Amino acid sequence: MTKKYRSKKAVERGTNAAIYIILIIISILWLFPFFYLIIQSLRGESGIATAYFFPKEWTFDNYIKLWTDTKDYNFPKWYGTTLIISLVVTVIQTTIVLITSYALSRLRFKLRKPLMNLMLILGMFPGFMSMTAVYFLLKLFGLTQDMGLVGLILVYVASSCMGYYISKGFFDTIPKSLDEAARIDGANRKTVFFKVILPLAKPIIIYTVLTAFMAPWGEYMFASLMAFGDQSYYNVAVGMKAMLDREVINDYFTRFCAAAVTVSLPITILFMWLQKYYVQGVTGGSVKG
Amino acid sequence: MAGLSLKHIYKVYPNGTKAVNDFNMEIEDKEFIVFVGPSGCGKSTTLRMIAGLEDISAGELMIGENVVNDMEPKDRDIAMVFQNYALYPHMTVFENIAFGLRLRKLPKDEINRRVTEAAEILGITEYLGKKPKEMSGGQRQRVSLGRAIVREPKVMLLDEPLSNLDAKLRTQMRSEIAKLHAKLGTTFIYVTHDQVEAMTMGTRIVVMKNGFVQQIDTPKNLYNYPGNKFVAGFIGTPQMNFMEATLLKRGDEVDIDFQYSDAKVTVPYSMMYKARPSYLNGKEKVFIGLRAENISINPEVVKNSKSVIKVKVSHKEELGNQTLVYGDINMDGDGYTETSTRIIINGDGALDYKTGEVIDAALDLNKVHIFDKETELSILPRIPEYNYFDCEVKGGKISFLGTELKLPPAIKCEDGKKELLIPTDAIKVGGSDAEVTVVSCDEINGKQVLSFELGGRRAFAVVPEPVANGKVKISIDLKKISLIADGAECVAAMPEKVKFEGNLVKAKVTEEVEVNGKTKKKKAIKFLLNIAGYELPCSDDIADKLITAMGVKNAFSDKLIYECSPYDLEIAEKGVSAEVTSVADYGKELFAICKVDGNEIFVFTQNEVSGAVKLLPDIKKLSIIQADKNIRII
Repeated sequence: MTKKYRSKKAVERGTNAAIYIILIIISILWLFPFFYLIIQSLRGESGIATAYFFPKEWTFDNYIKLWTDTKDYNFPKWYGTTLIISLVVTVIQTTIVLITSYALSRLRFKLRKPLMNLMLILGMFPGFMSMTAVYFLLKLFGLTQDMGLVGLILVYVASSCMGYYISKGFFDTIPKSLDEAARIDGANRKTVFFKVILPLAKPIIIYTVLTAFMAPWGEYMFASLMAFGDQSYYNVAVGMKAMLDREVINDYFTRFCAAAVTVSLPITILFMWLQKYYVQGVTGGSVKG
Repeated sequence: MAGLSLKHIYKVYPNGTKAVNDFNMEIEDKEFIVFVGPSGCGKSTTLRMIAGLEDISAGELMIGENVVNDMEPKDRDIAMVFQNYALYPHMTVFENIAFGLRLRKLPKDEINRRVTEAAEILGITEYLGKKPKEMSGGQRQRVSLGRAIVREPKVMLLDEPLSNLDAKLRTQMRSEIAKLHAKLGTTFIYVTHDQVEAMTMGTRIVVMKNGFVQQIDTPKNLYNYPGNKFVAGFIGTPQMNFMEATLLKRGDEVDIDFQYSDAKVTVPYSMMYKARPSYLNGKEKVFIGLRAENISINPEVVKNSKSVIKVKVSHKEELGNQTLVYGDINMDGDGYTETSTRIIINGDGALDYKTGEVIDAALDLNKVHIFDKETELSILPRIPEYNYFDCEVKGGKISFLGTELKLPPAIKCEDGKKELLIPTDAIKVGGSDAEVTVVSCDEINGKQVLSFELGGRRAFAVVPEPVANGKVKISIDLKKISLIADGAECVAAMPEKVKFEGNLVKAKVTEEVEVNGKTKKKKAIKFLLNIAGYELPCSDDIADKLITAMGVKNAFSDKLIYECSPYDLEIAEKGVSAEVTSVADYGKELFAICKVDGNEIFVFTQNEVSGAVKLLPDIKKLSIIQADKNIRII
């Protein structure tokens, strides 16, 4: 008597269906708040919360006012400030991280191991521990409030080489004989780095750029400390928090939602565009490059 | 196009591991040198030191006329091919090959011309526009070769270039690389662990093991005259058979008695002239090395042979063109495990041998190699170090093989029969000590080895110039001979080297320097060599080498050993304090025997000396050795 088997295809189909159902549920849970945010930003009626989900009046007013009505809250200025900070930080931080990790991956010097351990341990302390001290130091140099832009860039860039870990892992996977071949071909370390290693490190460059951009883009704590209550020195995160103050939240909640969507746009676009490199960068350490 | 010179090259890692030990070699222009050895033997490290990818711990490396120890790889004018090809993945084949030329800012036309030419030589013209990942292993290695040859380097370095290829491709690329060498006429240095590659490609082969050079020779000489057991076993397939045995001299014959077996054969003593007599006492263990092709089990050969032993067959391997019969000369042995009785014989494919069958095997003992069991060195070296004769000392005269010589006053010895050891370099052509008949004079590894008849016996000498066959007069440098009575040395040769202990010293001095006509005082750091208490100023160059080799931390504390010949010491007003205990008179030359820190030291002297003296070493001829790590730095 032959035993009845379920066909392999049927089993596969069943499992796949189950997996997709779970994934769909998870993505709904994840996407729902964002979806809610977009809908609220398009709501015509004012007020914090409504008893209904879909607005009665659809409008782009919140976006338009956000960018034109700068009387109380100067959103365009905040946005610009944050963008400048983020871009400058991205450029500097990416450079520092890549150079540091290449050096730690390739050069053998006496303090290499201790230095790597030190950076790892220092990275375990939360950044705000030293915040007050750093603030007073910056104040001493006059780098707060109106010079806060410079101060913030300094603060964000200061510890950037500590993010060397993932990119070092990536550089480690690029065979050393490439460096050696290039050095014999007549290249010095600098040429090796720029002409041989960097072109191969695209995924990790993109990963570094993305992470470097994201951190200052959404940073709140230090930015609020640096502005010290003066609206004109806010960055987007601090500014948007101001919109949620108890006195104004009723009028500004929908505009806040519009601001949130606006702020998330550049990162979303960047991510979608660079997604495949990003994944390669994160997993670069484990897969041969 | 250039030769290379490696002098006392060492590679010592910070943890104390010595990867390369005292590597000495002169490589001539256009040679194809192969470094071969098992993994971890230091062959790649040596190559990387030549390339400049690893620092040289001690020693001197010259490419052409230049010392390149501190030179960047790019300035050494070398090219290297890597095992994993090391092609730049983001560049096309053309860009890969042109990379080095572009960095050197050659004009575009020239780059195009050279790349096209190289591509044509290597047959990769059609791939020039492709990326490396679109190519197969063999093609990639060709690109990598192309990248090396376009630069027209002085020296080509190849680090196991064929190891990543499959067997068929490897054979093909092997002959292509050999062809390339013939075409380019550049010096090639090739690293491999494959002895077949080494034998087929190299003009000379360097066999290495555990960081030590075992032998440097042509493929043929390595096969025919292995200097030690390792080389003998490493070169040649199937591996050479090594059987433990003792040698016993009986008159004009020597018995070879195989251990753990009843096998015994006899050879004439004339084969063993180069062997130290103590090997022939029937007690000292040696390894008899004989290749499979020098053992025959053909009944015809066995019938006519005098040296036949019994072998128990265990199994055989059919290789198509030959049949390898495995057996054991110990009737209880299994023939599978590699023991000192297992034997591999190049059998006859037509004959059938059953497992367990005992057969006769004829040994071709003209091809035998004998190695010391402990040191594994050949006891019959190609360049013998000593001649061993029986002699008799009587009334201040020594007589051997019909020659009688007057012993100088320095050699004091009781009368009686003794064994005489004359180093091969103590015999000089010219003089009047004896008349000999030169049989042959061969150049072996750059040395002239003279083989001559003296009183009906064969003897050897190493001489500077070739000598024609026929009768010549020779002289024997008696200060180099030693005499052995009843197994103990009763007269020792004069030591060739004088040794002192000491260390490097740093001193701050104030110098008077003239600046614009005024004398100014200037502080400077001077380095001194402390030689057994005497501080000899040394040049910054020597100090630099010492400090680089020992590391700044240990440079001034580590013990150094100074070595020079007795002729390089001068009895002067300043120098190492010594006490003359006696003067040795070797007839033509006088040597003062001095005591320094309890050590006996020979010093060449013109006149009789006595009492306290000062010895000044010639700093140019001083070798300096780091004592605890045993590294010869200078």
